[in-house]
Amino acid sequence: MKLLSDTTVLLQKELQAEFRSHELLTTASIFILIVIVLFSFTFDPTSAESKQFGPGLLWLAFLFSASLMLQPSFLKERTNDTLSALRLAVGDPFAIFLAKLCANTVFLLITQLLLLLVFGVFFNVSVLPIFPKLALVFFLGSLGISTTGTALSAVSSQARMREVLLPILLLPLLVPVLIPSAEATRALFEPEHALRWDWLGILIAFDVVFLTALWLFGEYLLEE
Amino acid sequence: MKNLDSVFAAYLIGWGIFFVFSLTVAKRAASLKEELAQLKERLQDSRKERSN
Amino acid sequence: MTRTVVYTLLVCVLMGVSAYAAFYVAPTEATMGLVQRIFYLHAPSGMTSLAAFLVSFVGSVMFLLTRKPRWDWLAVSSAEVGVAFCTVVLLTGPIWAHPAWGVWWAWDARLTSTLVLWLLYVAFLILRTMIEDADRRAVVSAFFGVFAFLDVPLVYGSIWWWRTQHPQPVVFTSAALDPMMRKVFYLSWLSLMCLMAQLIRQRYELEASREELRALEQELEAR
Repeated sequence: MKLLSDTTVLLQKELQAEFRSHELLTTASIFILIVIVLFSFTFDPTSAESKQFGPGLLWLAFLFSASLMLQPSFLKERTNDTLSALRLAVGDPFAIFLAKLCANTVFLLITQLLLLLVFGVFFNVSVLPIFPKLALVFFLGSLGISTTGTALSAVSSQARMREVLLPILLLPLLVPVLIPSAEATRALFEPEHALRWDWLGILIAFDVVFLTALWLFGEYLLEE
Repeated sequence: MKNLDSVFAAYLIGWGIFFVFSLTVAKRAASLKEELAQLKERLQDSRKERSN
Repeated sequence: MTRTVVYTLLVCVLMGVSAYAAFYVAPTEATMGLVQRIFYLHAPSGMTSLAAFLVSFVGSVMFLLTRKPRWDWLAVSSAEVGVAFCTVVLLTGPIWAHPAWGVWWAWDARLTSTLVLWLLYVAFLILRTMIEDADRRAVVSAFFGVFAFLDVPLVYGSIWWWRTQHPQPVVFTSAALDPMMRKVFYLSWLSLMCLMAQLIRQRYELEASREELRALEQELEAR
């Protein structure tokens, strides 16, 4: 199918570009680390309550980092107007979005899983036994973040004050990702290591709704 | 009574917001209508000039 | 012109009557007392703001499909009116909560969801001010308008489930309504919906005038 092949080609391009320079991954990881450290100063990190606060602040750090990291996704296509070239190169404009959101999901996941290990050290949570389940939660959450974030990158790149506009647009939209992800992560940190399908269900619904909406309406964002 | 005061305050604030909204829109509409009238005059004049 | 005047009068009368009913006709609630009467403004405002946002969503979708500017005018007008009603909910909530329960804010599911809704649509309005070109502004904000409204059920659902998992003392119960209370409630809601329609129409006409001005300015420049 042309959509799939176009997407794969573009996805390869996105991944290659990032893995060559590492700038996005490096800066995003450091940013998340800084946020986690700073947040830890606002409460007693050694207390039992840190287990309660931890997952929430972890996801908050992910969200803040994403709202900065997703900015260049469409912004970089404005220099030299590479967006027009992309549009001509593909059959279905959704391929552009699909490639970018897949790439962004991968980048988000890499930084998240990295920081998860750091988090485990800081807050004395053993993450390795629950790693697969955490990976599932992180994947579903990251998919939601990158779907909406990539779309809104295309939105904000056409506006002024885009650096602060993207978080303003994205963060309230992501409340239905923040709450389930934080709650599901917290449940996994508890001794029972329970996988909460009620919360994952909301994440899956979010992902489906916004992927579909992006598929239906995304092409209008790519017009001249 | 204190509790009835709260109800009054709530209704006052609520209606206040609706009123302010309507008022600001009406003001902007009035000034726009003025601008429109001026522009239409200018357009009329420029059309007359053209035909002369 | 006269139709507008008549309709405005009708709205004012309805609002007046429903306020009178809320203050004097509705029976006093057993547990919360007089302050509960704020409910007749607070709850219907919430429902009306959702209705306005629904209208805005329809405007956004129809604009993306047809590209007729009047759908964009409808989208922005109803979004602004929705934000106004949302603001009323967020202000009357604490005014109700403080005398009744001693707290200004209780992270109640509905109120918290309304807060997120308010943030979403304020973001929508901010986005519109950040794009100068009228056509781009219409397309881009229509897209965000679609996303924002699709988020609404997810926001309500996730926050409601969040509160259910971490139960708090229930604050804004919509306990079983006495029949007279129900009548007053529906009257209030009707008056607010009529007000909403009136405000949307007023704002829509402003937007239409703006477009007329823009077209005229362009015509003048062309000469």
